[in-house]
This record gives sequence, C-alpha cells and structure tokens, in this order.
Amino acid sequence: MKSAAGPTVFIIDDDRSMRQAIQDLVESVGLRAEAFATGQDFLRKQPTSDPSCLVLDVRLPQMSGLDLQRQLADTGVQIPIIFITAHGDIPMSVRALKSGAVEFLTKPFRDQDLLDAIQQALQRDSDAREQRAEIHDLQGRYQSLSAREREVMTLVVTGMLNKQIASEVGASEATVKIHRGHVMQKMQAGSAVELVRMADKLKLSPRK
Amino acid sequence: MAAFLIFLVILGLSVGLLSSWRRNRKLVAQARSTTQVQVDERTNELERANEDLKRDQAELRRRWQYLAEAQRLSHAGTFGWKVPSGELVWSDETYRILGFTRETNPTLDLVFDRVHPDDLDRVRQLSDRAAQNGMDLDVEHRILLPDGVIKYVHGVAHAGKDSSGNLEYMGVVTDITERKRAEEEREALSRSLQESKARLEEAQSVAHVGYWDWDLETGEIIWSDETYRIFGFKPQECRMDIETVRGLVHPDDREALYSTVDEEVAVGVHPVHQHRIVRPSGEVRNVQSITSKLWKTTAVGPEDGISREHNRLFGTVQDITELKRAKEASHALSRDLQESKDWLEEAQRVAHLGYWVWELETNQVIWSEETYRIFGLVPKGDSFDVALVGEMMHPDDREAVFMTAKKAIDTGTRADCEHRLFRPDGEMRVVHSLGDVRKNSQGRIQMFGTTQDITDRKLAEQALRQSQFYLSEGERLAHIGSWASTDLGIRWSEDLNIYWSDEVYKIFGFDPKNGTPSLQQFLSAVHPQDQASLTATMKKLHEEHCGCDVTNRIIRPDGEIRYVRCVGIPVVEDGVFKGYRGTTMDVTEQELLTQELRREQAYLAEAQRLTHTGSWAANFVTGQNFHLSDETVRMHGFDPSEEAIPFERFFNTVHTEDQPAVRAALENATRTGTDYDIEYRIRRADDGEIRFFRSLGHHHPSGEMAGYVGTTMDITEQKHAAQERERLRQIEADLAHINRINMMGELAAALAHEIKQPISASITSANALLRWLAHDPPDLERARAAATRIEQDGNRAADVINRLRSFYKKGAPPEREIVDVKEIIQEMIVLLSDEAVRHSITIHSEIDAETPNILADRVQLQQVFMNLMLNAIEAMKDTGGDLTIRSGLNTEGQLLISISDTGVGLPAENTERIFDAFHTTKPQGTGMGLAITRSIMESHGGRIWATANHGAGATFHFTLPVEAEAHA
Repeated sequence: MKSAAGPTVFIIDDDRSMRQAIQDLVESVGLRAEAFATGQDFLRKQPTSDPSCLVLDVRLPQMSGLDLQRQLADTGVQIPIIFITAHGDIPMSVRALKSGAVEFLTKPFRDQDLLDAIQQALQRDSDAREQRAEIHDLQGRYQSLSAREREVMTLVVTGMLNKQIASEVGASEATVKIHRGHVMQKMQAGSAVELVRMADKLKLSPRK
Repeated sequence: MAAFLIFLVILGLSVGLLSSWRRNRKLVAQARSTTQVQVDERTNELERANEDLKRDQAELRRRWQYLAEAQRLSHAGTFGWKVPSGELVWSDETYRILGFTRETNPTLDLVFDRVHPDDLDRVRQLSDRAAQNGMDLDVEHRILLPDGVIKYVHGVAHAGKDSSGNLEYMGVVTDITERKRAEEEREALSRSLQESKARLEEAQSVAHVGYWDWDLETGEIIWSDETYRIFGFKPQECRMDIETVRGLVHPDDREALYSTVDEEVAVGVHPVHQHRIVRPSGEVRNVQSITSKLWKTTAVGPEDGISREHNRLFGTVQDITELKRAKEASHALSRDLQESKDWLEEAQRVAHLGYWVWELETNQVIWSEETYRIFGLVPKGDSFDVALVGEMMHPDDREAVFMTAKKAIDTGTRADCEHRLFRPDGEMRVVHSLGDVRKNSQGRIQMFGTTQDITDRKLAEQALRQSQFYLSEGERLAHIGSWASTDLGIRWSEDLNIYWSDEVYKIFGFDPKNGTPSLQQFLSAVHPQDQASLTATMKKLHEEHCGCDVTNRIIRPDGEIRYVRCVGIPVVEDGVFKGYRGTTMDVTEQELLTQELRREQAYLAEAQRLTHTGSWAANFVTGQNFHLSDETVRMHGFDPSEEAIPFERFFNTVHTEDQPAVRAALENATRTGTDYDIEYRIRRADDGEIRFFRSLGHHHPSGEMAGYVGTTMDITEQKHAAQERERLRQIEADLAHINRINMMGELAAALAHEIKQPISASITSANALLRWLAHDPPDLERARAAATRIEQDGNRAADVINRLRSFYKKGAPPEREIVDVKEIIQEMIVLLSDEAVRHSITIHSEIDAETPNILADRVQLQQVFMNLMLNAIEAMKDTGGDLTIRSGLNTEGQLLISISDTGVGLPAENTERIFDAFHTTKPQGTGMGLAITRSIMESHGGRIWATANHGAGATFHFTLPVEAEAHA
C-alpha cells in the first residue's frame, strides 16, 4: 500500500469542466484530489492506504457509476462513494444509497453539501479502515484457533453453559473449559461479553 | 208354151218391176236429194216426190200389162218332174239358179238341200200335196247356196200327164231374188213413202209449207191444203189460177218477184224468193216460195185427145212470217249473242278468266283468247297438244294438276285446282282452273274448263292475310278484346248474352269452344276480393245504363293472377237503349308498373326524408314552382299538405345575413344559364330553428332561361360535424404541439445533462473561486482559473440552449418545403451525440448518397427523428449500445429511413400497439410520441413500422414519398 499525503478525494466525471471544478473545490479546502474521466481509469489506479472517498457521476459512458460501485464491491474495495448526477432520479438515488453510497447529490449542488459529504465519507473510510484493521487482527487471532476451539467459541457466544457445550460437542465439560480458556486467550478477550463482540465482528454463525 | 208364157210374164213382170223399180229409185233419190238440199226446202221436195209417186203409180198400172209378157224374156229355168219316178229334168238356167253343175243328177233331195231350212217344211208339204193330187204348183221360197248366198226363187209348174198317163209336172223356176229385193225395197219405199206422205202432210201443216202445181199450158194451178191455209183460204175453197195468185202477192213485191222468177226459171235455177202476200182478210204474211225447174209432162188433151207436152212448174210456198220474225229475233238474238260474246270476251279479259276445251281423246286443247293472254301468248285459233300446257306450268305443280284432272275424268267430278305457270317472259302467275268432263254434241269426251289468273288476288289475299295477321297480332300484343251484350241493361239473368272476341277468351284463359261463360263462371274467374265490386259495377250498368271503366283482378284457370281493365259503353240507337259494347284489356304489366312506380315514388320520398334532401323544379324569374317534393316543403318548415307554396315564401326563410349572397348567386346563375351550388342558413318557417342548407341547381335545358331543377340538402349535421372536426383538428394540432413540447421536454431532459454540466461546473467553479479568494492570502491564480472555467461553461450552456430553440416554436400550420433529409439527420445526430455518449451509446450513420430531398414540413420531420432517436437512446440507456441511422431509397423509389438500436426491443405481441396513443412504457411518458410520429408520417403520405432485430433491439422504419415538385 502506497502511502499518500493524507486523505484523498477521487473524482470520476466524464465532463472535464466538472472534473476540474470539483477538483478545484476540494483542493480549496485543503484536501487532496485526483480526477479520472472513466471508471476504468480509476480501477487501474493503485489503492492507497490513506482514507479516501470517491465522487462519482452516475452517468458515465461504458461503465456507469453504479456498475463501478458494484465492481468495486465485488473486488472488495470498500471506498465510500458520493454520487453526483445531472438527473434527479429517485429510484436511482435509492438504489445508490441502498448499495452503500454516502450521498447522492444532483447537479448543480451546493459546494458545502459536497464538502460535507466528502468529510463524512473520509471519516467513514477512516473508520472503516480502522475497523477493517481490527477485524483483520481478530481474524488472525481466530485463525489461530483450532477447529475445536472454534467450535467451542461458537457455542460460548450463544450463552451456553459449559455443561451444555460439552453435551453439544460431545466432550467433557473439563475439555470444554480448557478450550474455552484457549479461546479467551488466543482471542485476547477479557470477558465473555468481549468474546461475543468479537464473534459478532467476525460474523460467526452459530451452529444449529 | 205355157212355160214360155209364164216366162214372159215373169220376164215382163221383172222388167216391169225393174223399170218401175228403177224409176222409183230415181224418184226416191230425187226426193231424198231434194229433202237433203233443203233444210228449209225439205217439205217442197217431199211434195214433189209425192207427185212423182202418184204419177208413177199410174204408170205402174199400165206397165203391169206388159210385165206379163216381159217376164218371159227373163232368165228362167225350166224343169220337168215325173212324179211317180221322181225323175227330174232341169234346164241350164235351172242348174244355174240352184247352184249345181250340169253334170249333177237332179233329184228332189238335191232340191230340198237347197231349200232354205226355214222354208223347207212348207216346200215339202207343197210338193207332197202336188205329187198326190196333181194341182198346179206355185211356190216361192228361198234357197241357200253352199256359199251361203240366199236367193229367192219362184217355182211354177203345171201338172199334166205324160205319154204314159203318169203325173208329170212342167215348170219354171225363176230367180226372183232381185225382184224380191226390189219388191221388198218397194214395199219399204212404199211404206216410207206413205210415211213420208203422211209426214209430208204433217210437215206441211206444221211447217206451214204448201205446194203448188202449175200447168203452164192450161194455166191450171193445183194447191195443197196447206197452201190454201197459207193464203188465208180454207183448204180447196176455190180453184186457183195464176191471176188470182198474182193478185194475192203483195203489190210492192209482185213485179220484182215475177220478173225474177221468169229469169231464173229460164236459166234453170231453183228460184227461191221471199215475198209478202196479202190474205183476203188483209193480213200481211211473209212467205217463201220455191219454184222447181220446168217439168215437162205429157198429157192428153181433153178436147182433142192428143197427148201433148205440158210445161209444168211446181213448188212450195211457206209461211215464214213467224220464221221471219223468229229470224229477226234470232238476228237480234244473234246480235245480242255476239254482243254477249263480246261482253263475255271482255268479261273474261276483265276477270282474267279464260276458258278452254280439252279433247280427251285427242289430247288437243282449244283456248279462248283470254286463256292465251293469261298464259302470255298471242291468241291463235287452232288447237294444240295438252303437253304444251303442261310445260308452261310450274314444275312443282304439274303433277298435281294432271292428277287432279285424271281424278275428275275418272270420277266424273269437277276438277278444281290452283297452280302456277310461267309466261314466256319468265313471269310467274298463279291461276285457278276448273274443269268439267262431258260429252259434246258429237259424243266426244271433253273437259271444258276455265282458268282464272288469280295472281293479283293471291297477292291481295296474301297482303290481306298479312294485315289480318298484323291486326290480330296487334290485338294479341295489345291484349285487347272486345265484347258486346244486348241483354245487359235490359234483361238480367244467369246466362247474360254476351259476345266475346277471341282475345277476351285468351285474356281469361277460357276455351272459345266452350262458348261464352255464364255469369257464375265469369264471376268465379274474378279474384275473390274484387268479385263484390265487379258485381256491383255490373248491377250499376244494368240499372243506370251508364258507362264503366274498371280494373279488377282475375284468376286464370292456371292460377295466374292478371289485372283486367273493362271499359263499357252503352249503345243507344235513335234514342233507344240497345245494350252495351266494350273492350277488355289485360293491363297486368301496366298495373304492376304503376304499382312499382308508386312504390318507388314512396321509396324516393322516404329516401328524401331520411337524407333530408328535397327535390324541386322552379322558375326563379316568375317565381313559379313546378315541382316540390314533400321533403323540400318539410325541411323549410312548411306543411306538405299545403297547396302551391310560392317561391317567395321559400326565399324568405333564408337567414337575413345570407339572403344577399343567395340572391346574388341565383341571379348570376339565371343570367348565365349555369348551374349553381350554394350553402346558406335558413330559419325554419315553423319553429325558427336555424338550419344549414346546401342547394344544387341545374339549369334545365327546356329553353326557359330561369327554369331550374335541383336538390336542397339539410347539411346542419354535416356542418356541425365539420365544425367538430375543425375543433378536433385544432385539438390535434395542439396535441401535436404538446407532444412537441413534451418531446422538447424529453429533449430538454436529454439535454439537461448537456446544460446542467456546464452550469453545475460553473457553480462549483464559482464556489471554488470564492474559497480561493477566502484563503489568507487569496489564491488569485486559482481564482482566475476558476473564473475562466466559468466563462467557458456558460458559453457551452448557451450553445445547447440555442440548439433547442427550433423546438420552441409553437405549431404553425404545417409548411411543406423541400427538405434535405441528410442535413436533418446530421442535425439530429449532433443534437443528441452528447446524450448518446453519456449513455454509452454509439451513433452510426449510414447515409446513402442517393437519399433524396423530400417535400415535407421541416419541424414535423425533426419531430419524427427526435422521437425515434430518443426512443432508441431510451431503450439502450441502461446498457449502452449502438444507434444506427440508415437512409436511402427503397425499391419503390421512396425515401426509406431506418433507426435501429440494440436496446430492450419490442413487445413480443401486438407490435403495432406501440404506435397507439397513450401507449407508453415510460413513467413520465405521455404515450403520444409514436402516435404523433405515425400521424405525421401518414399526413406526408408515408408509412412507419417497427421490426425486431435479429440480435438485440428494434428498428423503426419509415418511408416518405419523393415529390419531384411541390404540390399545391
């Protein structure tokens, strides 16, 4: 991951004027901006480690804004998107927002609206990165668990007593306790509640 | 000696007989010839013969004495007969008489052989008796010679004794055949003379012919009884002499008569004279006297006993008074006859009737003059062969004619035939021949007949038949029959005496052979519904003696219904009613026609009523209405039952505002004699409602300047409809305008981006600019850059708006001009290129160089392109694609435009529905786009349709006719 000079606003709009104008605006508030004419151009770009967001025109030739959004999602790139459009199409905005867009603005928009959205987006991205990092960490810890330990963990977070877990798993309660301990340890969970939270974060589905 | 005497006697007798016989013969011949010569002189000759006879008879007596001696000189054969021995001796003459040769031994048997069978018995008897008693023989008998000749012989024998004292006869046998014959003739002659005498007497008296005998020497005149009567005396009343006789001759004729008679007698001619005599009573008679030649007779003078020759004349006198009259009458008759003959000839000529006589035995034919003329020949007198007649006949008729003749000849009936003949000049005539078979006066079988030239008659007959045929045909065609009744009006009964002509029977379908129908039969032929009225009519005729003219239905025996018109007229002679006469006509066709006509008139009136069209004929100048249909009257608000509404009243219904125009139009039309077609309003006469009328007037070519015939139509509904249509058209135009506005809206929507971009960019640039300026210190460079961008973007926006301007124009009425299609397509592509790019749509244009210019409304055409291209973009906006515009000529030489996309495509079913109004798939769409596009196409005479592509998307095609020049 390349280290950029602070948070970056990526701008994708096929209209040059627009690109320039938005870039200018972003830079006028001291943020870094990079503009692209097409989605493909953006995708070719290396991902950055700094929080970033995307100001994206819905109507783009070849790959529409929504398509890009999908594609980014597909490739796991989670960059907050602010849609801008000349059309004020309600279904479109609903769809865009539903798919995770931060904001949906119609041109001409108020500069403040855009800047606010950018701030919000950057923040989100930052938070998201943090969260991602955290989860990454948790995942690492989880990975270190053995299968049995995972199994136990899954059941622990459901609020089951050791006894219950033991019968469920088909092991002794003592074993379960041991595994539980390992889990707590490896997971670096201070408490069961914490473990639960970790499990939530890891999105572990209880075994039924 | 005795034999010799006998012989002499016989001879004498014979001679005497002969001579007297000869004399008689002469006399008879004379008498005969005289009788012959004289058709009228016959009686004279008979008289003379009678005289001769008397004289001859006297002579005859004298001669008898000589006969006795003269007979001896004749050839007589002698014979001797010795009775006991039967020996016979014959002289040569005897042999000759009996027809034996000298060598033959004479026997009694031989004699008997010769005796005629009929006399044999008598002769035998005599000879037997003679042989017994020796009396003298005297027998006449016939002998039959071997060669069949019959002679008469007379045998005389005297009995004596021979030397031996035996009985012996000596005799003579004389051939008295001639004498016998002469005797017989004489007898006959005597008889006939007696008869003649009697007849003569009779004839004399019947013929009023008397004779006279005049001894010239003595002057003695002997008259017959008739002569006395003729001269008006009683028979033998007094003695006559020449002086007396002369005196009786009419004084005027006397001299001429006697002088002529003297001359003629001298010459030796039989004087025949006619002269008048005057009877003692004074009566004048006509007589004819014939005088003989001079006769000489010898007479012994009474005084001196000397016989002298006397000249005698004798003759006849005949009272020819009646004869003369008869002759005169006969002459007159003859003249009349001749005249009649001439008239007959003339009549024949006039009647073209000739007669002919056909001698059947000789096949010779005699023709009258007219017959020659009929045959076209020159009249000749002589007869000719019947075959010639046949040749002149028409070959087809020849056989029939001769067969008819043959039949008549065979059966004795009259021949009657018509046949044709050819005259020598080739002309054909038709003749009618009649012939009767008879024997003529000479006993020859003839056919007497007539032939009449009936050619003209035949032609006339033909013409008559023809005209009769035409007449009866005419009657038949006209279906008119006649009837008459002497009973109707006088005497009423079941069997009214009515005469029907043939045509009436035909009309009713009755058979004339059944006779006139009875009243019952007649009425039963009438249609049941009409029977009552017809009966009433007849009763009326009967009672009131009036005329009638009624039409009723009848039912023919075959069931067919006919209309029959019966016209009856009362017959009045000298003020007296005599009955009825009339005609009966089959008027079925007329009646049906009339009914149909009435029906059609009703239909017409109804049609007029339904269509609110009235017909009329009028003269505008005189204001006269010749014809007004009920509808014409009604539509103006008048009452059809009102009589004769004048033209002025019609004119007054015209709306006051329109009256001047109408008047002007009518005046113009009447002045120029032309047709007119005007529309105007009227105020109905009854309720004042305003109606729109259209009146068409046709100048009626009858010569009257202002005579017009035409129709007037109530077009109020049409007018309203037209107004409605106009309103709708306006709405349509407005709708089109709205559509354009909408499209403009769509375009605007499409271009919104185009505009929004520069404007949004400007705003953002302006925002940035302000922020650059808000920096401490302000970043003027960046601010300037921003300002520049704003300017650029502003201009960009203005451009886009300019491009849209053409669509702002509100719909004026469509203006057609020559439009360069290629140019419009280019404009559209430019207009929409940004939009297309935005939606990842590539526009391809395949403009054929031959794309023609067309006559179209530019704005409407742009509208069409806009609509179709926006639709294509719309179809592809989510996916992107290719928009292809093709233009060129199709096979029919029309402009063909195709706009295809690779979008969502057409609905599978009812593709055509997409062109319907209010059919839309867009949430904000009006659904009018394609409908209006189609309407524009159709108004330009083009077509629009859509097809699905083989791949994705659809193609919209439209064609427009290529106009070489602008149409008015």
